[in-house]
Amino acid sequence: MAYNVAVDVGGTFTDVLVFDEKTGALTLEKVLSTPENQSIGVIRGVEQACRKLQIPFSELKLFFHGTTVVTNLLLENAGARVGLITNRGHEQILYLARAWTPGPLYGWMGMQKPDPLADIPDTRGLGGRIGADGKETVPLDDAEVRQAIKELVEQGVASLAIAFLNSYLNPAHERRARDIAREMYPELPVSISSDMVQEYGEYERALTTVVNTYARPRVIRYLTGLDESLKEKGFRGTLNIVRSDGGTMSTHAAAESPVHIALSGPSGGAVGTAYLARVVGVPNVLALDMGGTSTDVSLVLGGEATVRREVRLGYYEFKSPAVDVHSVGAGGGSIAHVSITGGLLVGPMSAGAMPGPASYGRGGTQATVTDANVVLHRLPPGVRLGGSVGLDEEAARKAVQAVADQLGLPLVEAAQGIIDIVNENMYAALRVVSVERGYDPREFGLVAFGGAGPMHANALGRLIHASPVIIPPTPGVMSAFGFLSSNIQNEFAETYLRIAEETEGASLQGRLKGLEVEANKWLAEEGVADDARNYDYFVDCRYYLQNIQIPCRVVLDEATGDTCTFLRERFEAEHERRYGFRLDAPVEMASLRVIARGEIQGVELRGAAVDESASAEAARTGEEQVYFSGEWLATPLYDRSLLRPGAQISGPAVVVQEDTTTVIEPGYRGSVDKLGNILIHVEVA
Amino acid sequence: MAAPRELPDYVHEHKIDKITLDIIENALANIRFEMDRVLVTTAVSPVIREQADEFPLIADRKGRMVIGQFGSAIDVILKNSPYEISDLREGDVIATNDPYMMEGSTSHLPDLLLLRPIFHGGELVGYSSQWGNLMDVGGTTAGSIPVEARSIYEEGVRMPPVKLYSEGKLNEEVLYMFCHNTRMPKQVEADVKAIAAGTAVGAARVKELCDRFGRETYLEACDALLDRTRSGVIELIRRYLPDGQRFTFEDFTDDDGLGNGPIKLRLTMWRDGDSLNFDWTGTEEQVPGPVNFYLNPEMFKMFAGVFLIMAFAPTLVFNDGYYDVISVHLPEGSVLRPRFPAPLSNRLVIMARHFDVLQALFSKAIDGFSVSGSYGTSPNFVYAGTDQEGRSFQTMEILYGGIPARPGGDGLDGHSWWPEFFAVPTEYLEKYYPLRVESYAARPDSCGAGKWRGGCGISKTYTFLADGHITYQDDRAYTYPYGVDGGRHGESSRKFLVRKGTEERIPLLSKVQNVPVYVGDQLIFETAGGGGLGDPMERDPGKVEADVRRGLVSAEKALAEYGVVLEAAGSVDAAGTEKERARRLSARTGPLDQFDYGPLPPIDELRETIARTRREFNEWLSEQ
Repeated sequence: MAYNVAVDVGGTFTDVLVFDEKTGALTLEKVLSTPENQSIGVIRGVEQACRKLQIPFSELKLFFHGTTVVTNLLLENAGARVGLITNRGHEQILYLARAWTPGPLYGWMGMQKPDPLADIPDTRGLGGRIGADGKETVPLDDAEVRQAIKELVEQGVASLAIAFLNSYLNPAHERRARDIAREMYPELPVSISSDMVQEYGEYERALTTVVNTYARPRVIRYLTGLDESLKEKGFRGTLNIVRSDGGTMSTHAAAESPVHIALSGPSGGAVGTAYLARVVGVPNVLALDMGGTSTDVSLVLGGEATVRREVRLGYYEFKSPAVDVHSVGAGGGSIAHVSITGGLLVGPMSAGAMPGPASYGRGGTQATVTDANVVLHRLPPGVRLGGSVGLDEEAARKAVQAVADQLGLPLVEAAQGIIDIVNENMYAALRVVSVERGYDPREFGLVAFGGAGPMHANALGRLIHASPVIIPPTPGVMSAFGFLSSNIQNEFAETYLRIAEETEGASLQGRLKGLEVEANKWLAEEGVADDARNYDYFVDCRYYLQNIQIPCRVVLDEATGDTCTFLRERFEAEHERRYGFRLDAPVEMASLRVIARGEIQGVELRGAAVDESASAEAARTGEEQVYFSGEWLATPLYDRSLLRPGAQISGPAVVVQEDTTTVIEPGYRGSVDKLGNILIHVEVA
Repeated sequence: MAAPRELPDYVHEHKIDKITLDIIENALANIRFEMDRVLVTTAVSPVIREQADEFPLIADRKGRMVIGQFGSAIDVILKNSPYEISDLREGDVIATNDPYMMEGSTSHLPDLLLLRPIFHGGELVGYSSQWGNLMDVGGTTAGSIPVEARSIYEEGVRMPPVKLYSEGKLNEEVLYMFCHNTRMPKQVEADVKAIAAGTAVGAARVKELCDRFGRETYLEACDALLDRTRSGVIELIRRYLPDGQRFTFEDFTDDDGLGNGPIKLRLTMWRDGDSLNFDWTGTEEQVPGPVNFYLNPEMFKMFAGVFLIMAFAPTLVFNDGYYDVISVHLPEGSVLRPRFPAPLSNRLVIMARHFDVLQALFSKAIDGFSVSGSYGTSPNFVYAGTDQEGRSFQTMEILYGGIPARPGGDGLDGHSWWPEFFAVPTEYLEKYYPLRVESYAARPDSCGAGKWRGGCGISKTYTFLADGHITYQDDRAYTYPYGVDGGRHGESSRKFLVRKGTEERIPLLSKVQNVPVYVGDQLIFETAGGGGLGDPMERDPGKVEADVRRGLVSAEKALAEYGVVLEAAGSVDAAGTEKERARRLSARTGPLDQFDYGPLPPIDELRETIARTRREFNEWLSEQ
């Protein structure tokens, strides 16, 4: 057994990437996704990859799987009928949805509010109550619990969520109700809110629990089916499911907490970028993943993907650690249109895979970003996308001409406008994860991937002043690549709400150690060897009464003194960096977290020797007129597969490969590093 | 004939390419959201941090809002300040909370507005401005919304427009002086700094735009954006409003909290070519209590334009560009234009009603587009006292109610009429304050019936765990949110106090100040529902069934209001329903009223009731 495999299920394609531990070689396979049952495409893809390598399934050791099962069932309202048990008087907790109304003024006129995932008739309020000090004020009545569960099951709920007020301080009632449910209906999936989220905010905690419960029956079925199919094929290794925070967990853990795999796919791109950042030696980079309908951007700091605590999916925002990916509706398929006042807009509507951009020749007539790239020859005529789809330049010109007519601009200027606007939308997204978080993008590189990313990467690097711009060798399968570099990971957290200046270090240390015990137990269950277990400790701080939580990393030995004042400078420095001011207010330790990692060696890129004399000439395949900022320039074309480490390319240039096209602008130079990345820098005169 | 008028200076050919303009517009929109995020995450006041009661804007160098929501009165603020424009420096921040000094840009003292001039290369290129609702600014009650104030002097400390920061340096003495006059100096100081941080982000981003595109291009873009929105609004006026016809609507706010009411709001609207005209003549004179709403005329124009934009062209950017195409007359000395020093703190009851009136007028004027009346204010609840460990505490919470029904959709139940607001989490209230939330739910049957029903109001029950006082403001207790186009009115609001160990629900008025409460007492806070839209007999019976299953509408109301017959198991009896509806339709003698105001007594009678109930309540209060 010497092969690891990563499978990323996307909307159109399922990507399979196999890593040969002996030779370091990566083998790529793409098959069409099978949305009705993703596992069919997964098995098919792995089979094809194995055939290519001429190995049996039994040679596969670690299997990393990123899945959109949870994402899709949330976006398509296809989850289970969920029952919710909560406190009496608070049965409408999900229905009222914190009263939020979208902006701006009169936003209610257009607000679309979906039915709650656990509807009011499927909700029961019980009389027990925990107070805000964590003490029981009204005991839970077992008979009432039984009656409620019985009613819900009899009226047809397929899974159960239990969320009581203040359970983040004392989960006793939730646990008791869960035990009763298990005893009554051992097959009924049950989730309790204190297991899902350990912080205050009853709506968010209940919603997270209900989302989890909503997804569970289907996820359990899916993972069981996949596991069985793989075994049938002879797979004997370990199946790991990729989490939203870029870590992985066992199928058992994923079946317990599917809410944590809601952003399974996008996290791979960020984790892969982080890995690449470490091996290329540019530890701080922006990741830009531009696909057909949207672009995901994220930030890698010190070689680590940044993680946030909330996930927004459609209407719902729930609590779950996830790579801090910011999405915008800007992709190759984004449609250009003209507003009532004559302004040019691009997206968020997309031509999708069908009919796709006009230039795909599948009946699309609306101008998309891809069509604009075709008109300007950034996608050179004759290029075949994915090696097979040819481009219809005439159709692209016709579609863009329609927009040009509405704008009263010449064709090429309209095409350039479409590119500029979509770049601006992505630029704004890159700013959200950098400038708005207090980071200066000039100190960052930019890693671009996804089918359309490398085409726009140079322009975005220029706009946001990030350098170098890095185009990885296989930009089309970056998520799968990221999965191979993941570790087994989970987060253990609890609400603390203590003032740093008034809390003894030993108390903090004791609580962190308590979390570590939990974390250690989980890693053992996941089969991680003792010496491969790692822990990171965080205290999330804020000024007393604020609404933020700024993570401050600590080591256990620090928490020893009479107070936890040692956190103050760490917190305040970060607060000032982000917001530009400090306050004369106590520092509150809002929550404690331990992140547990089990290190696994999934991939290791091995570089070839850099040949200083390697010439790009050997990879040159022709020349094309390409439009750059106002003029057509004679631009050489290169074949990526023929470029060798050490090769240098002066812009303007277009590098073509099977799954993407890289544009190097005039005034920039691309150089191929030992790992096969193209690094784009400003040309030094 | 439209009178010839002078065109604004930004209406001209613009020397900027379209694409750059679109990019700058996009970037400005993002700046606004970033200002929101900075303030909401760093503030400590729960109305800002949990409920997002704050509003940012970016203005051009002449003080006109190019992006934001409430319009700008920067020129008025500067006029009323000791500074000339030439006195402004990089890093200055002007602060004020005095509505009279900014002609109603913000409308009561707890809203503190900061204004930061933005310089690029030494030249003034614009302003960033933001206001947020502070927890307290002094005055006679905690939270600074005293129900019984008779002048603004009772409502708190007033900061005239002064430099809070001079060239980047905080004017500590001014801040100290201001905060010292509040009940929560530390929290107020923190929130002021958070607002300043929000405006600083706005300024930094505008400077970056000037760096990126060049100052002249940025300034030209501001002009072009104002011009563009102006053309868009003219187009909307032409397309949706009939020329020449006059439309009038009136409605009432209950009372001023001192026993005076009902308070009439009357608005007339007519289109004259490309311009839209409004006249509030016939609106009640200013009242002694603090419900006067000092309405900034420019802000009103913004609201009118924004309604059209949101109804018909929601991608159009709001800005001050269309001020010259809308005119408004606000009678001096009316509740919408009170004379100094009339009290203003509880202005939301009239502010919300003025929105109801404006919406009703558009419903009358625009074919096929109607919305009903809303819960009608922004109920605000403060509970203050000293807890069992001797620490003083003060909550402030905004509550919500029934949202209007809209074309093609029901009103939202218990949602916020105001954009981007949130309900305060129960766990937050219980963790930081001595109270318990016993229940929080939509009020059954409070929603006005209609083809599209109004939203339900909410019912929230609190148990107090420390002795203290409560102060709150609500409205629509004597009047009803109107139904439209055959839809029925929503139910009015109510409040009850239940003393510990008793069963009696003591009815409280909709506006009270400093009512003593003791450990174990309960308050039941119920807000009004929204009106319905369209004939209830046309409502999909399946929707009525779902409402009944959810407990939002009773089976009795389903039959009485909608003619929907339900079987014992709760499903629609289709045949029975058809028969019932046919019977009712045949019994009708004429078309349904366009507006249903509910069972209002004659106005004089209502006036007496309001005065009497206030007297009786005050007698009761003096015995507590």
